[in-house]
Amino acid sequence: MAREKIYLEESFPSPFIQLWGIFRKTPVAMLGFCCFIFLVVLAIFAPIIAPYSPVDGNLDMILLPPAWHDNGNVSYLLGTDELGRDMLSRLMYGTSLTFGLSFIVVVFSLVIGVIIGSLSALTKGIKSSFLNHFLDVVLSIPSLLLAIIIVAILGPGISNTVWAIAIVFIPQFIHITRYAVKEEFRKDYVLASRLDGASNFRILYYSVFPNIVERLMSQATLAQSAAILDIATLGFLGLGAQIPLPEWGAILANGLEHFYVAPWTVYLPGLAILFAVVATNLVGEGIRHALKLRKES
Amino acid sequence: MLKFTFRRLSLFVFTMLVLTLLSFSLSFLFPGDTVINHSGQINATPTELVQLNKAYQMDKGLFTQYVAYVSHILSGDFGQSMASQSPIRDEIIELLPATIELSLVALLVAMLIGIPLGFIAAINHNKVSDNAILSMAMLGYSIPVFWLGLLAILVFSIGLGWLPSAGQISLLFEIELVTGIQFIDILLSDSPYKWQAFSDASAHIILPACVVALAPATIFIRLSRAAMIEVLATSYIRAARAKGLSFKQIIFRHAIRNALIQIIRHVGLQFANLVTLAMVTEVIFSWPGIGRWLIESIAQRDYTAIQSGLLVLSCFIFIIHILTDFIYAALNPLARGNKYGS
Repeated sequence: MAREKIYLEESFPSPFIQLWGIFRKTPVAMLGFCCFIFLVVLAIFAPIIAPYSPVDGNLDMILLPPAWHDNGNVSYLLGTDELGRDMLSRLMYGTSLTFGLSFIVVVFSLVIGVIIGSLSALTKGIKSSFLNHFLDVVLSIPSLLLAIIIVAILGPGISNTVWAIAIVFIPQFIHITRYAVKEEFRKDYVLASRLDGASNFRILYYSVFPNIVERLMSQATLAQSAAILDIATLGFLGLGAQIPLPEWGAILANGLEHFYVAPWTVYLPGLAILFAVVATNLVGEGIRHALKLRKES
Repeated sequence: MLKFTFRRLSLFVFTMLVLTLLSFSLSFLFPGDTVINHSGQINATPTELVQLNKAYQMDKGLFTQYVAYVSHILSGDFGQSMASQSPIRDEIIELLPATIELSLVALLVAMLIGIPLGFIAAINHNKVSDNAILSMAMLGYSIPVFWLGLLAILVFSIGLGWLPSAGQISLLFEIELVTGIQFIDILLSDSPYKWQAFSDASAHIILPACVVALAPATIFIRLSRAAMIEVLATSYIRAARAKGLSFKQIIFRHAIRNALIQIIRHVGLQFANLVTLAMVTEVIFSWPGIGRWLIESIAQRDYTAIQSGLLVLSCFIFIIHILTDFIYAALNPLARGNKYGS
C-alpha cells in the first residue's frame, strides 16, 4: 500500500488511545466521566472547600431545612441535622470517606488481583483446577456476607471495613485477569513473540497487558460501584464507620430517628450515594461501549 | 449427563470441605476461647469445659479437631447461641425458611419483570424504547437497597397506607409452624380464616420482595437483552424468516426458547447477590429471617451464631447454584462438556 504522507511519521495509536478516542465521542459517558472527576476532586479537597466542620454542631441551628425551603437559611445550604451540623459539609467530607475509600480499595485489590491472576493463568493441571474450584466457592459467598464475617473478626470500624471489602474484591479480579490472560495466550500474536524467544513474563508485560487493560478497567468500575454500595451498607448497618464520621451510609442511618421531622437527613445522603454510583456506572458503561465499537471497527 | 452429575457432585463435596474449613478456622480467628466459640457455651463450668474439650478433641492435632467439628455439624449440632443460649439448629430451622421464601419470591418477581423487558429492548435494538429501558436499568442498579426500602416504606406504607411496613404476617393470625414457609403453612392449616391470612401474608411480602427484586431485575434485563440480540443474529432465525414465518411466530416459537436457556445459566450466579440484598432488606422490614439474625448476632458478638449462619447461608446459595447448573445442563446438551482443568 502506498504511503500517503511521505514526510510525516505514521503513528499507530495504542489500543488505549484508540479507546479514549471513541470514549470521548459519547456524550453520556463523558458526562459520567466529568461527574467522576468532580467527585475525585471533591474527595481530595473536601477539607478546604467545606464551609463548616463535619463534626462540630451549632446548637442554635438544629434540624434546619435546606435553603430552598421556607424556613431554610442560605448559610446552611442543605440544612442541618439533629446536632446542628451542616449537611453540605458532612456530605462533602463523606465523599472522601465513601467515594475516596472505595476508589483506594478498588485500586488496591486490582493490583493484587492482577498479579495473582496473571501468575495463576500460567499454571496448568491440578493446581489450576484447584484454584478454579476455590475461586468458585469464594465467589458463591455473597460479598456482603463475607465482609460482615471479616468485620466480625476484626471488629467494627471504617478501616476494618475497608480491609474487608478489599479482601472480598480480590477474588473477582483474580478470576477476570486469569480468564482474560488465558484467552490472549491462545492468540497468534503471543505465539509470534514466543517464537522470537520472549519469556513468559515478557509476553505478559509487553504483549498481553496492553490488550486486557480496558477489560480490567471496566471490571474496576463495576467493582467500585459495588464498593461504594458495600461501604455505605456496612455504615448503615452500624458495622462500618462509627458515630461522628460523616460516611454517607452512617449519616443516613443517623437521620432515621428524625425521618418524619427532617426527611432531608435521609434523602440527601441517599441521593449522594446514588449520584456517585450512577457516575461510576456511566464511566464503566462508556468503556464497555467503546470496547465494543473498537472491536467492530 | 452421568459424567456431568459426577463432576458437579465432586464440586459440591469440595465446596462443603472449603466452607466447613472456613467456619472451623473462624473459631480460631474470633476473639475468645476456641472451644467456647465452637460450642457457644459461655457459662460452662470447669467440668463441662473438660467434657467440651473432649467432645471437640481439643487435645489432639488440628486435623482430628476438624474431623470432630465436622462430625458435630453433620449430626446437626451447631452449638448454642452465645446470646440466647438456645440451640442454633432450632433458631436456624425457624429463620431460614423465611429467608428462602423472601428470596425465592424476589427471584420470581425479578425474572417476571426483567426478562420480558430485556426481550422488548432487544427486539427494538438501538431504538428509543431500548435506550429508555437500558437507562432505567442502570438507575435501578445504582440505587442503594436500604435507601430504596426506606423510600418504599415512606411512600407505600406511611404516605399511601396501602401495604404493611414490617413483619411477615399480622399477629392476629395464628399459624402452626409445619414447613416454616409461611404460604405453605397457611394452606396446610385448617383455620377458618385461611384466606384472610393468605392475603395478609401476601400483602406483607410485596414491599420487601419488590425492594430486593429491583437490582436483580435490572441484571436480568441486561442478560436477556444480550441473549436475545445474540439469538436474533443467528442463521436459524434468518432461515425461519426466509421460510415466511410471521414476526410473532419467530419470536415466540424460536427466539424466546433459545434465549431463555442462556438466562437460566446465570440465575445461580445472581442468587448470591440477591441473598445479600435480602439480608439488608430483612433488617429494614423487620423480616424474621436469617439475615437480620446474623446482623444482630454481630452487634451481640455472638460468634457461634455468625459461624453457623455463614455456613448455612452459603450452603443454601450453593445448592441453588448447582440446581440451576443441572437445569441448564438438562436443557442444553452443549453445556455438559469439559469445563475445568484443561
